[in-house]
Amino acid sequence: MDTFIYSLRKFFQSIPLIFGVTLISFVLMVYFGPDKTYDLLGKNPTQQQIEEVHHQLGYDQPFLTRYFIFFKEIITFDFGYSDSTGEKVSSIFARTIPVSLAVQLPILISGNIISIILALIAAYFRGKMIDKSVMFVAVIGMSVSYLIIVILFQIIFCSSYGLNIFPVQGWEVESFTSYLKYVTVPVLASVFLSIGYNTRFYRAVIVEEITKDHVRTARAFGTHPLKLLFKNILKNSLIPIMTRIIITLPFIIIAGSIVLESYFSIPGIGLVLYDAILTGDLPIIKAAVTWTAMIYVLSLILTDIMYTVVDPRVTLK
Amino acid sequence: MNEVIQNSTNKQTHTYGESLWSKALRKLRKDTIGIVAFFVVLIYLGIAVGVCLGFFGSSWDRFVTDGYSGMSRQHIFGTNLNGQDIFERALYGTKTAFQIGFIVAIVATFLGGILGAVAGFFSGKIPDVLITWFYGVIDSIPFYLFVAALAVALADNPYAMHIAMISTFWTSTCRIIRGEVIKIKHLEYIEAARAIGVSYTKIIFKHIIPNTIHILLVQSTILFVTAIKSEVILSFLNLGVKEGVSWGLMLAEAAQEVPAGNFNNFIAASGFMLILVLAFNTFSDALQDALDPKKVS
Repeated sequence: MDTFIYSLRKFFQSIPLIFGVTLISFVLMVYFGPDKTYDLLGKNPTQQQIEEVHHQLGYDQPFLTRYFIFFKEIITFDFGYSDSTGEKVSSIFARTIPVSLAVQLPILISGNIISIILALIAAYFRGKMIDKSVMFVAVIGMSVSYLIIVILFQIIFCSSYGLNIFPVQGWEVESFTSYLKYVTVPVLASVFLSIGYNTRFYRAVIVEEITKDHVRTARAFGTHPLKLLFKNILKNSLIPIMTRIIITLPFIIIAGSIVLESYFSIPGIGLVLYDAILTGDLPIIKAAVTWTAMIYVLSLILTDIMYTVVDPRVTLK
Repeated sequence: MNEVIQNSTNKQTHTYGESLWSKALRKLRKDTIGIVAFFVVLIYLGIAVGVCLGFFGSSWDRFVTDGYSGMSRQHIFGTNLNGQDIFERALYGTKTAFQIGFIVAIVATFLGGILGAVAGFFSGKIPDVLITWFYGVIDSIPFYLFVAALAVALADNPYAMHIAMISTFWTSTCRIIRGEVIKIKHLEYIEAARAIGVSYTKIIFKHIIPNTIHILLVQSTILFVTAIKSEVILSFLNLGVKEGVSWGLMLAEAAQEVPAGNFNNFIAASGFMLILVLAFNTFSDALQDALDPKKVS
């Protein structure tokens, strides 16, 4: 019951945030957005025709009314139809998000597991050669642009100039083997990149835990190093690690896939957004911006609730 | 007796009188890798200044050959599909990168620093609530989509990208400075200043912000790198540089050329960029280590 009331309060606290996000999106994309009047009218329209279209599109309504109409669009997920394909925005999202998930979930899972293991190794051998070389690789991963990695991995694995063992691009998934065929190179490229940032962050978190007294005591009692790492250290540093994973999730799934999917022609949400950005397809951008932001705010609440469940030291205040 | 007192005061000035900056400089001098990285950044800065002054890179848009050509003595990295010299373009791209990096890093750090200081100083009161709400909102919108939305609103403004980066990048600095100021404002010297009636503006600008300069410095180096890296993706999405040439635009070209086996554009642009960003990241780390007294490494 306490947890429920706590969640409810957290939700109400996040209302200003949701209000702010929708307001900014409204101002940028609707209020100062492109005027569609002249696209709908022919050449040399009369003043009366212009006013008529203005009225139909709701341009003559006051600021607040237009904002509430926009807000209703968000809540009901009714953003109308795509400007370029004419398909309903909600059905585009429903069709493409599963594809993106199929690509992003393996990246998320393997990227984080590899990063945590590398971070544990680096933190355990802090200051030694292993630590320095792991961190050097991490800095390189941080310094390379996503685009460079994607192009490079495509040359290495997919082109006749490299190993040429995977298809260059596309997505003709029928079975698990064909899924592996198309998903491997994009996943490898993204995992390589995510290791850079994640390992640095996780190492910092683990180093902080490793220097604490309880770890020294456990070590003095002769705890096996592996047990020490996983039980005494990793378990205690799980909160910042989980927070980072949950918070970056909405960004990775919607925004992070833009480059990857457009470059590998994967028909996920990223490719849709890429086309929408290039052609200025506003209904799709509106939907993506507002809903990613809303999901982000919800995941913030989720992490707060998770703290209290995972860590008994955090009290419900 | 006098001698003893003098000795002890001498000793004190030696151990306690070292400022944050002289200590940082001493630490930084020992960090060989950091120094090397710093000189690499200086070389790039030299290239950028040279391009500004017109010593080289000025013929980046001239068509010197018919279509693609390989490496030769006249064109070190060959030419691209349009027959433009790749090396010249990469040099010009250095100038573009520094321009973006400097503008974004300076303005965003400045903005984040001031807003963070104000929020921290009035923590819990209305200015703080407004500022934290504002950066919470900005952080909730995914960056590339925010830029796309801003591009819609600003139509064809050539600085749309700069504005978008500045209006999103200040939040991290603001967050950190706010936390630091909440710690600083309870120190005695601030309480003393308040007790004798120094105005809030003067306390913030004269007594608080100068004590966060070391954080602002590190933050600006981080933002510089982030700006250069974001430019690449934004140019690929057609939301980036509108005038001149940049490494991002070169990579976007390279994406078309690579399948045909023309790697020069890709190698030049990514090589130039990787070395600068790697050097800047390493230097930023060294600076952070040198300026952080509690650093656990």
